Amino acid sequence: MRIRLKIVAVAAALAATAVMTGSAFAQGAWPARNVTIIVPYSAGGATDILARKVAEELTGELGRTFIVDNRPGAGATLGTTLAAQARPDGYTLFLGQVSSHGIAPNLYTTLQYDAVEDFEPIVMLESIPNLVVVNNDLPVTTLDELIEYARENPGALNFASSGTGASTHLSGEMFKSRTDTEMTHIPFPGSAQAVTAVMSGETQVTFDNMPSAYPHVRSGNMRALAVTSAERSPAAPDVPTVAEASTVVDLSGFEAASWFALFAPSGTPQEVITAVNEATNRILEKPSMIEFMRDGGGTPGGGTPQDLADHVTAELAKWGQVIEEAGVPKQ
Amino acid sequence: MDLWSNIALGFGVAFQPTNLLFAFIGALLGTLIGVLPGIGPTATMALLLPMTFGLPVEASVIMLAGIYYGAQYGGSTTAILLNLPGETSSVVTVLDGHQMARQGRAGSALAIAALGSLFAGSIATLFLAAFAAPMASVALSFQSPEYTSLILFGLLVSVVLASGSVLKSIAMVVLGVAIGVIGVDITTGQFRFTFGMIELADGIDFVPLAMGIFGIAEIVRNLENRGTLHATVEKISRLWPTGDDFHRSWPAVLRGTGLGSLLGVLPGGGATLSSFASYSLEKKVNADPSRFGKGAVEGVAGPESANNAAAQTSFIPLLTLGLPTNAVMALLVGAFIIQGVQPGPMMLQQQPNLFWGLIASMWIGNLMLVVINLPLIGVWVRLLSIRYDFLFPAILMFCAIGAYSLNNSAFDIFVMIGFGLVGYLFMKLGCEPAPLLLGFVLGPMLEENVRRAMLLSRGDPMIFLERPISLTILVALALTLAAMLLPALRRRRKEAFVEEEA
Repeated sequence: MRIRLKIVAVAAALAATAVMTGSAFAQGAWPARNVTIIVPYSAGGATDILARKVAEELTGELGRTFIVDNRPGAGATLGTTLAAQARPDGYTLFLGQVSSHGIAPNLYTTLQYDAVEDFEPIVMLESIPNLVVVNNDLPVTTLDELIEYARENPGALNFASSGTGASTHLSGEMFKSRTDTEMTHIPFPGSAQAVTAVMSGETQVTFDNMPSAYPHVRSGNMRALAVTSAERSPAAPDVPTVAEASTVVDLSGFEAASWFALFAPSGTPQEVITAVNEATNRILEKPSMIEFMRDGGGTPGGGTPQDLADHVTAELAKWGQVIEEAGVPKQ
Repeated sequence: MDLWSNIALGFGVAFQPTNLLFAFIGALLGTLIGVLPGIGPTATMALLLPMTFGLPVEASVIMLAGIYYGAQYGGSTTAILLNLPGETSSVVTVLDGHQMARQGRAGSALAIAALGSLFAGSIATLFLAAFAAPMASVALSFQSPEYTSLILFGLLVSVVLASGSVLKSIAMVVLGVAIGVIGVDITTGQFRFTFGMIELADGIDFVPLAMGIFGIAEIVRNLENRGTLHATVEKISRLWPTGDDFHRSWPAVLRGTGLGSLLGVLPGGGATLSSFASYSLEKKVNADPSRFGKGAVEGVAGPESANNAAAQTSFIPLLTLGLPTNAVMALLVGAFIIQGVQPGPMMLQQQPNLFWGLIASMWIGNLMLVVINLPLIGVWVRLLSIRYDFLFPAILMFCAIGAYSLNNSAFDIFVMIGFGLVGYLFMKLGCEPAPLLLGFVLGPMLEENVRRAMLLSRGDPMIFLERPISLTILVALALTLAAMLLPALRRRRKEAFVEEEA
């Protein structure tokens, strides 16, 4: 009910703006006015910072202000629902990620959006690997040793995550099922707490996002065993990939990354999709952008809308299988 | 000595004209948003974050930090004058501060709060400079069993905190815990008590809850007895605290500063715990605890010093471990990252200018805040003489803006209104809302930590007794409980209540 009211209000506001800017609209070219990017997380977080950086660059490329609209709540599903129901007029975009377009559709049965049907993929922005890190006192220095330690001491290891159903949790579950080992999952309310738990020895392992975990590795407070991406991260070229680091088990093709991409509500004009895709591809080649992402451990995205569509399909299938095998309860 | 040369380096950075200017802007903005009920530092800092893209890193962090501790000052202003706590940490200031205002002693309450905060802020900053590194390791030795014991202790203290019936305050704690568990259960990921509403998935937010239960309820109650309103306003005679106020306050300020500096370091709710703890400590050590809740100046001086001290020392986990302990600190991490600085263990070596400059700017900022605030006390107090016909709609509007700006969602406004009505009902029933808020904040933390400890021990409850820190806290808890139940003390407590009811 309330959501419907809100949509009516938003639609009315949009209609009013459309009337006011009618003359500009009639002259043709998009964007005739400011464009909103819905970000389903609060201001100041990693997703928000990326969105603001991209919005700033898009403003420069396309000549109209791109505004970040933070709609946090319900593990990103609230903002995603709002974006799915927004008017597809080219003036609302959405910053989707592994949670909204990879994990949540497999985890919630009551979701009010369809990750494939309700969205037009535009372009991949960035991909950030998770890092397999262990407490300094754990007698393992390589991924192989971790697997062997887990096998020799069944039930001894705990792995921390930033919450049940988060990518940090499911990466761990994927690792457990691929290596056939046993570790107890200990959920924390966020990444910072999960990292603290590994540093203090409360838990021994975590599969945390690179930007929050890597500084502690560099300062010697934790030990990194591998990155969960297919290729090594440019920010930590000396850390091997999971596939490279394991010889006792075949982990080829193991990939569990956080990714961020631009989407639009389904039905958005094709020329808008094309324009944003081309502008973003230009932005992602700028040295300042590459450096910004590398500092955070990420790899710039890019490519066509079809590339992103294929990626979403693959992610939905992969996380669906992990959730199935790990027996994470759906709701 | 090393510490002094570092501090000298810090002042060199902080005294650069640009940085002075931005410290001033931050302190001023912080005071303003603190005074406006409901508009918190988190929303303001989020809005200003893009502006800091173009600033040098020192200036931007100094300004954002200024907003944070500035809001702590401003927040006590509305708590005292309007019974509106904007932050968890100013909830207890309401209890005695607003009573003082109703007795015409608003000026004293504001001045004591400002001076106590200045003292606490300066000492805690020195503490931060000297002990940042060792304190960080203390924070690391607090794991789920230790948290469980500490929170249990806090909940027991909340029963001591209430001045009314023990049964009622226990009922309020339980109700607070029940409201607190709404939302996603982090251990299993299940939704609890959300009734299919997606807005409830993250639970009820603290700000609309507190604004409703204290602020809106107070407005409704005031509207009920309009005739008596003018009497309180005319009684305002002096702005400066009396000698007696100073005499009573300074030991409370000292205790609050010590408590706040220590508890502020703990990740998660340190500032809140410290103001609640300081209030109950003052009530415990005072010769006449029955004065509390009726305008005791110690009840303002202690918690206000404690929360300001904790606000400074909560930078310790951020600056030394790179761990944000609350939403504001998480925003600061964002600001650092935008500037290409990773807060954490490396910062002290890689960015000494930034680290020590920020610390020095806190001293300067705290001083600026008192300079901004003291002359304004007269202005704030005159707020009380504005006709309520004008004041109430304005307060309601700012509350609504504040609630909305949390998540850009109208849902929080309805939550605030709902709790306003609930709060009015509590007043009528003689139930104190402070224990409810403590239950609301601590209940979910307790559940989370108990369950985590049990997961880690594979179901063995001995984990709480095997660890020395946890055991010590539990023993202290048992002793306090025994002391409360001892006949002699129980009689004294009863007498206190009889006095109160008389």
